[in-house]
Amino acid sequence: MLRLQPKKMPPVAPTTDPRFAEIEGHRPYLLRYALAQLRDRGLAEEAVQECLLAALEGIGGFGGKSSLRTWLTSILRFKVVDLQRRAVSERSHVEFDEGIAADDDGWLDELFDASGHWRQAPQAWSNPEAALEQRRFWEAFEHCLDKLPPAGSRVFFKREVLGEETEAICKDEGITPSNCWVILHRARLGLRACLEKNWFGKEAALGR
Amino acid sequence: MGDSVNCREASRLLSVAYERRLTAQELQSLQGHLDKCFMCRNFDSQLRFLHQASQRFRTKD
Repeated sequence: MLRLQPKKMPPVAPTTDPRFAEIEGHRPYLLRYALAQLRDRGLAEEAVQECLLAALEGIGGFGGKSSLRTWLTSILRFKVVDLQRRAVSERSHVEFDEGIAADDDGWLDELFDASGHWRQAPQAWSNPEAALEQRRFWEAFEHCLDKLPPAGSRVFFKREVLGEETEAICKDEGITPSNCWVILHRARLGLRACLEKNWFGKEAALGR
Repeated sequence: MGDSVNCREASRLLSVAYERRLTAQELQSLQGHLDKCFMCRNFDSQLRFLHQASQRFRTKD
């Protein structure tokens, strides 16, 4: 169990610590985690930066019992809680998200024709599980998550990656369960289409 | 709701099934559609994969 240093230590020079690159590689995931909780990019980046510094300082305490990502996330959670308190008191603007309003179905018309058929047929992905072992697949996965609108990205991350209950997520976001479901549906459709275009689709596969 | 649904509605049911239990009628309509539609069967598999990948994303090294 990591004991965080109570006093400020000078930051570890990135180039001298062999674990830096490995820890740094988790930054995009950690940023996504922080954004899902904090909803403010500046605060999220601050939380992640503090987390990575603390991780470098405390890497000696990482026994390898969990994955590095799990360990980093546990550090990040402390930072997020600290900043959440600050976010409540200091927030001078409210981040306005498109995509929260579930009344607008226009995006569905782009995917389905007037008879309700797929405009572009989902292809058969051959052996998708094998992709999970490829680093470049995860780059494509993160790229596709980045392309989701902010609300969809947050809700999808909390629901599918973190496994939180829909009710809790809806409460946090201030939306109804059915709004939540629409947002998730849209996120899944978007992610699916993006991964098919960038990884699983025939053209993408030939290009790799 | 009729005996079967179109792809737009089927894809919505496939998605919401991850959030709540489908009613017996919804299940019947959905299955009726999946029996006839390979595109939605592909979508069904893809949703399952997205779910699996997302969980793996949480803990991967």
